[in-house]
Parts: sequence; C-alpha cells; structure tokens
Amino acid sequence: MKTASKVYTGIIMLFLFAPIIILLVFSFNEAKSLSVYSGFSLNWYKELFKDAETLNAVRNTLILAVSAALVSTVMGTAAAVGINKLRNKYLRMTMDTVTNIPMINPDIITGISLMLMFVFVGRLFGAATSLSFWTMLIAHITFCLPYVILQVLPKLQQMDKSLPEAAMDLGCTPLRAFFKVEVPEIMPGIVTGMIMAFTLSLDDFVISYFTSGNGFETLPIRIYNMTKKTVTPKMYALATIIFFVILALLILNNLVDDEAVAKSAKTKAAAKKEHSRFRKMAVGIIGGVLAVCFVLVLVFSGRGTMELNVYNWGEYISDGSDDTLDTVKAFEEWYEETYGQKVKVNYSTYASNEDMYAKLSSGAVSFDLVIPSDYMIARMLNEDMLLPLDFDNIPNYKYISEDFRGLYYDPEDTYTVPYTYGVIGIMYNANVVDEADATGWELLWNDKYAGDILQFNNSRDAFATAQYKLDLDINSTDHANWDRALEELKAQRPLVKSYVMDEIYNMMESGEAAIAAYYAGDYFTMLDAQAEDVDLRFYYPDHTNYFVDAMCIPSCCQNKELAEIFINYMLSPEPAIANAEYIYYSSPNSAVYEDEGYMEDLGEEAIAILYPEMESFRELYNKYAYRNLDNETLSYINTLWETLKIS
Amino acid sequence: MKKIIELKNITKAYDGQVVLDDISLNIYDNEFLTLLGPSGCGKTTTLRLIGGFESADKGDVIFMGENINDVPPYKRNVNTVFQRYALFPHLNVFENVAFPLREKKVPRDEIEQKVQEMLALVALTGFETRSVTSLSGGQQQRVAIARALISRPKVLLLDEPLAALDLKLRKDMQAELKKIQKATGITFVFVTHDQEEALSMSDTVVVMSEGRIQQIGTPVDIYNEPENAFVADFIGESNILDGVMLSDYKVAFSGHIFDCVDSGFGKREAVDVVVRPEDVDIVAEDKGMLKGVVTSVTFLGVHYEIIVDINGFKWMIQTTDFVDVDEHIGLYIEPDAIHIMKKSEYSGLYGDYSSFSNELDELSDAESESEE
Repeated sequence: MKTASKVYTGIIMLFLFAPIIILLVFSFNEAKSLSVYSGFSLNWYKELFKDAETLNAVRNTLILAVSAALVSTVMGTAAAVGINKLRNKYLRMTMDTVTNIPMINPDIITGISLMLMFVFVGRLFGAATSLSFWTMLIAHITFCLPYVILQVLPKLQQMDKSLPEAAMDLGCTPLRAFFKVEVPEIMPGIVTGMIMAFTLSLDDFVISYFTSGNGFETLPIRIYNMTKKTVTPKMYALATIIFFVILALLILNNLVDDEAVAKSAKTKAAAKKEHSRFRKMAVGIIGGVLAVCFVLVLVFSGRGTMELNVYNWGEYISDGSDDTLDTVKAFEEWYEETYGQKVKVNYSTYASNEDMYAKLSSGAVSFDLVIPSDYMIARMLNEDMLLPLDFDNIPNYKYISEDFRGLYYDPEDTYTVPYTYGVIGIMYNANVVDEADATGWELLWNDKYAGDILQFNNSRDAFATAQYKLDLDINSTDHANWDRALEELKAQRPLVKSYVMDEIYNMMESGEAAIAAYYAGDYFTMLDAQAEDVDLRFYYPDHTNYFVDAMCIPSCCQNKELAEIFINYMLSPEPAIANAEYIYYSSPNSAVYEDEGYMEDLGEEAIAILYPEMESFRELYNKYAYRNLDNETLSYINTLWETLKIS
Repeated sequence: MKKIIELKNITKAYDGQVVLDDISLNIYDNEFLTLLGPSGCGKTTTLRLIGGFESADKGDVIFMGENINDVPPYKRNVNTVFQRYALFPHLNVFENVAFPLREKKVPRDEIEQKVQEMLALVALTGFETRSVTSLSGGQQQRVAIARALISRPKVLLLDEPLAALDLKLRKDMQAELKKIQKATGITFVFVTHDQEEALSMSDTVVVMSEGRIQQIGTPVDIYNEPENAFVADFIGESNILDGVMLSDYKVAFSGHIFDCVDSGFGKREAVDVVVRPEDVDIVAEDKGMLKGVVTSVTFLGVHYEIIVDINGFKWMIQTTDFVDVDEHIGLYIEPDAIHIMKKSEYSGLYGDYSSFSNELDELSDAESESEE
C-alpha cells in the first residue's frame, strides 16, 4: 500500500512537471528541433538576449505587471479596509459578491467588455485610438484587484479590532495608526496579493489581447503571434527564465506566510527572530525587484516625437537576432539622419489575417501599416479599409518587377506593395520515400506510404490539394467541383497519419511523418532542424498554390506619408535583403533576387526552390491563388469538410 | 477632592436602542472608580466615551473643566487597557511599551530609562526583547498596563482587564493593580461585571443597569445600604421582601412586625426590605420571629447555605449551625440587620430564592461573560 501510494504520487508529480522539465531541457538544446537533443548549449539564451523585439515585449510585460501590481495593491488594500468597516451585513455581502465577479467571470468576457468600454469612451471623447498602454493597465488593474482584496480582507478580519483603537489611544492619528499598526498586521496579505497580481498580470493573454493598443505588445501576445511560423527555442529559454523567477517569488512568498503561521503557533523567541528577519528580507527583495523594474520602465519609456505604428505577422521582419539587421531600429536611425527628426516605430504583431482584421475593424486601434495576405486585401478593399498609396513617396517601387504587378486583388496597383510571396510544394523524407515516387500531387495519395502522409487541417488548403491533383478550379462556385474533390479526399483519408497545421514542423523534423505539402520558405526551417536520420527533400507539382503578402496602409492611418516612407525604406536593397534572409520566403523585390551576394548565400538548391523558374508569376498566380469565395460556397465547403472529418 | 472627569447628562443610542440614558457622573483625582454591572448595562460604552472612541448623542464630557466632546482619542490625556490587551504583535515587549513615547518623539535615552522604570513597576524586567505573542496572559496584561501608563495619563481606563485570566492569577492581579494605582497616583476607571472584584479594589463603585446609574458609593455603602432591589441583589446575596413601614423604626413583613433602624418613610408606605443571608440567626422554632421549613442544605466550607420556606417565600440563610432538610426552625433578625429601601422598578424581580441553585448562577455568569 505504501509503495503504491508513493508510486502514485510519483506519477502525479511527473504528470505535473514533465512539461516544464522538457521545456527546461530543450531550452539548452543545441539544435532547433524539439525531437532531437543534440547536446548542451546556451545558444538559445544568447539568441534571446539579442532579440530586441522580444526583449521589448518582456520589458512591456514587466512595466505592465509592476504598475498593475502596485496600483492594484494600493487600491485593493484601501478597498479591503473600506469593506471591512462596513457595518451593514447586506451591504457587506453585496460588496463581497461584486468583488468576486471579475474573478469568476471568464477572461474572454472581461476582455471583450473592457475593450467595448474603452472604444465607447474613446469615441465619446473623439479619440482616434482608444486602446493604449493605459487601457491595458486599467484592464490589468481590474482583474488583479479582486485577488488583492481577497488576500487582504481575511487578514483585516483576523486582526484584533482594538489594535487601531489602542494605537489612537497611545497618540496616533487614525491614518498613522493604520500605517503603524494595521499595515504591519495585514502585511502578509498585502505581499501575497501583490505577488498574485504581479504573476496574474505577467501571464495574462486573453484580456491583454482584447485591450492592447498600438505598439504595446506584451510577451504572451508576442509568443502567440509567433505561431505563423513556429515558436523558436529561444522562447523555451525565456519560458525557463520566467518559470524560475516565478518559482523564486513563490518561495519568498511562502517564507512570508510561514512566518505568519509560526507567529500564531507560538514558537521560541529565537526562531521568531530568524523568521521575522526572513520576512523583512522577503519583503525587501520583492520590493527591491519591483522598484528596480519600475525605474527601468521609467528610463526606457522615453518617447520620440513622431510615431509610426506597424502591424505585422509575428517573426516577419529581420529583428536583429543572429547578427541580422534590426530593420526597425535601422529605419529609425536612417530617418533621423535623412530628415533630422526623431521617429519611433511601435511594432506589433498578429498571428493570422483574421486576428489582424478583427483588431482593425474593432476601430479601437490605429495602425499606419499592415501586411495582410492577398485574399484578406481583397476583403479589406471591399470594405474600404485601405488607402490608395502615393507612389511619389515610394520611388523604390521600381524594384518590384512587372511580373509582380497587376495581381488580382489590386489589378491597378493603387493600394499595395508586395512584401513576400510563397509557393506550396511537397516535401518528403528521402530515407522513407522512393525518389521515383516523388512527383506530382499523386505522392499524397500513394498507398505505399500509408500512415506517413500529413494533410492540412484546414478546409481550403486540403481541398486545394485534391483540386490541383484533379486539375479543377480552386475558386469554383460549382458544388459538383467540390463534391469531386471531397471524393478524392475521402479516398486519401485511410492513408493520412493526421490532419495538421503547426504540428507539421515537429512531425516532419523528427521523421514521425514522411510526406506533407507546405510552403517552400517553411521547408528550410524544417530542413535546419531535421533529425539525424531524416533527409528532407522538396519539389513542386505542376499546379500549385501561390500567396502574396503585401504592405498596405489602412484607413485608420494617422501619418500616411511616414508610412509611405517606411514602405519605401523596406523596399530599399539593404533592409529588403535582410528581411528576405530572415523570413526565408521568396521576395518579389528585384533588388533582392538580382543581388549576387544574396543568391550566392542561398545556394543553388535553395534558389531552385525559392525562386523556381516560371514563365509568368502573374499568370500562374491569378489562376491558382485563392480568391475570396461567397458565403454560400464557403459554408458548403465547411459542410463537406465536416463530413470528411467525421467519416 | 479635585474633579477630573465630569459626565453630564449623557445619552447614547445605537440603531434606536438606548444604551446610556441620561448619565451623570463625577470622577475625582487619585480615585479608583469601578463601573459595575451586568453585560449590556452600558459600562463599556461609558468607558469608551471617556476614551474618545464613541461620542455621545446628548450631554457633555468634561475633562479638568474643559469640554472634550470633540477631542479625538489621540489628543486626550487618558489611556486605555483593552479587554484583550491589544498589544502590537509585530513589536516586542520593549517597543510596545515605548510606542507612545516614540509617537511623541521623546529622546532615545529618555525612552530607554522610562521603559525600564515601567517594566520594573509591572515586574517584567528582563522581558524587553521577547515577542509579546510568546507571553502568558498575565504577562501580556502587565505589558498592556505598562504601555498605557508610560505617558503618565491623568486617567487610566481599564476595560474588564482581568476577565481573561484564571481565578488565582486574577486575585494576584487585583492586588497588583491596586498597588500600581497607589504607587502612581493616577485615577483608575475600571470596568467589571464581577462584584467581588469591584468591592475589593475600589474607592468608589458605580452600579449600572440598563443604561442608568443605580447607585454611586463606597463599597461598604453599596453593600450595606443598597438603594434598590437591583443593587441589593447584584451585590452579594439578599433576601428581598415586600414590607410596609408602620412608623419610624417599625416595619412589617412576612406576617411579623420588626424593629429596625430606618426612619423617614411615609406612614404605611410600601417598601422593599433587605435581609442579608449571613445576618439571620437560627433559633428553635418556638423562639423564632419567623417560622419555616428547611428545603435544602449546601455545605460551602466556611458555612452552610440553607434555603428556608417561610409562608411560600424562600429565604437564603448562611449559618455555621447544622440543620437538616425538612427540619422546622425559627429565625431571629436583629434590628440593624434589616435594611429598608424605597420601592423601585426592580421591586419584586429579585430576592426570592425559589428557583435558586449555585449551578444556575454560575451558568448565567458564564453567559454574560461571553456576551461581552
């Protein structure tokens, strides 16, 4: 029995801590892969501290957490004192319930309602952007407050009511009595409340997501937005550091609590002294850390005169990590040199076109530049969400060759400047797949490789693979076309290992799966991280999908000319090449793909994949790229997709 | 004697319930005054009014000739020893005692010297660095007293300070408190519901009930000359009987006419008659002024406590002579053992031992303590 319970405890502990241990171990991994441990290395920690944007997000998160913790602790303590003084039982019960509501309320509701309120109040006062650092701070204080109250109130209730009276009796004014006698008594509650507020604010995602404003991006939001590509191991390093910082806070906090327990348990005087020293130390350390954070915040938060708010995909710009060019910083410096004026770029990220769209159409933010994908551009143009560009401010548009102009979503080239493009190809593990079979879309239907094939877990992409295979129109509104594709997907279903999106990276890198269709640029990411016994290759089938992401100026733009200057800068050779090298997607910029150094660095194999020979990009693109379908067709596709997933 | 505190026609109500009803009281210099009464009689509220923690709805609090109605507690030259001591748990013994001096920014070495003096007074020298939570109840009590006395207030208020101590310790502390009061010459205003405590320590006892003062006097006066049935019953044991004053020095009760020492009542005025249980002598039935049957006998060490039924009224008698249950006995009462009181609202409520039992008495005592 005893061993059984020990084993059980062991299993529970393993279950609880295994994820953290894995994270910890892989943060010290030399290779990029999650599946292969190739040796101890501090690489990712080094990488982390070179990543300016991530460090900026950490800084933002700390600014927010420290301010929210301090303000909510002061407000929460004051509120607890007030509630504790209420004599009316019903009033008091009501107050208790009201304070608890924000805690029980799902974050998503708190987030949405706060956003609505900020937008509403913002509109009322005619503000162009209602969401900012301050709204986020208010939101964080809102959800931290009840936790502080909940920690402080019981301490007040446990306290002998005559203590403050005794202090007044002995010569203290009521205020002084509060600070001299009540505060030391309820200090454990205040400290616990503050630490809770700090950690809650630190890792909040949902509420922050709805209330974050221009250019103020916290760490959880940044990590979430990285899912466009894959979360890099430097995030494991960051998560490990955060884990240990929180652990340290927790231990300190427990020391404070222990002391409170020991006090009531009447231990020896000597032990007490020791404890109270501990408590003073703990409070001192926590206070010190918070104070240092706050000073850092004040030092760093100096602002420039002009601001440019850029909204881009996560990991979609060269950011200075790995000794690359820090594009944003370089732009700021270049601008100051050229125009003699300071400019501050507030850079925020999103994870999907839909996220970006939702944020922009909420009307609560104003961005000066966004980089959506083609179909989303079509939709935004439909809804008048984009402004025509003044190409006089973008002379570098000359680098965009004829081939990348006149694309379907912007046939007159008035609203957009292409940023990257990509082509879907098929990758396979040459150690599993016979070279001779690696041709066309048929490989994904080859029953020799049953159980090794991955398919998109996304209706549009999955149907397209069947439609390309059958040479059907991927933008058809004819139900028969889609029914035909469904049959093909049903035939494929027994061969499919699983339907995946982001998991494709790990499954292909580790050799768990052998065949998958994906974007060329991402293939290189996987190639970098492949396990020793995996040999990834890549080829293009005859018909395939193309996408273009393009820079546009949304109608909420506050400084159009500055945004155009930024676009122009992004087109100039140095940043354009740096970005192409960083993102690893194909560039439509001739200054990039005609640059000898860049092409040499890529190597022949990569060139063949990233810049495949084609007669006319425009022609292929306009034929094979996704278009925005009407709602009737979209819902029909979804119905078919459901039947496939259920069958 | 010099008046220190004067309460003038004080009325105070909480949520429409009157807790103090037109109270007036003088407190003199160097006096040990006790507010005595059952729980809910308003004694603690009176103390808190003097301390400044409550304000009166009507009436005035005068301190050394000055109206202090609107003076906050921290500006009154009065200190309090709270019921549960209210020591500051985050400070050690020395710092607790030094607290008022630190608030007044007294120089360091003066604080050191005064705290040592105070600790010596309450016999706690050597406990300076101890945590107050590690002290026994009695020791905490002394710290509270030292802390309240260190700034030499004109008046020290003590709110049932001995209630939480066990009997033996309580007796020691009573003596010690009295000693400290004599040594310091400070006026003590002491609140208790324990009549023995009140009698043994006080110079003046103020008996309170239902928000009103029933009697003010020395312990001897209060005991021997109770003003009404409530006081007679609350202080010690009393047989209280309905009587009629026939003339000066003649009173009729229990079907017999007694000589007494009281005069000045109206002719045939109905009165309350008090006879203390220890003042009744037991004699043979045929020699007694009153005759009755013993219904119970309890041995209490120094004496027996017997209940005697006389015409349906149960008397309590304390005697060293042994009598048996059901024995018929006679009672003899000396004239100076009879105390005559005017009729009051308390007449008829007290003084009959029909349902008396020691056990019940203790139970109700315990209840009233826990209510406070």
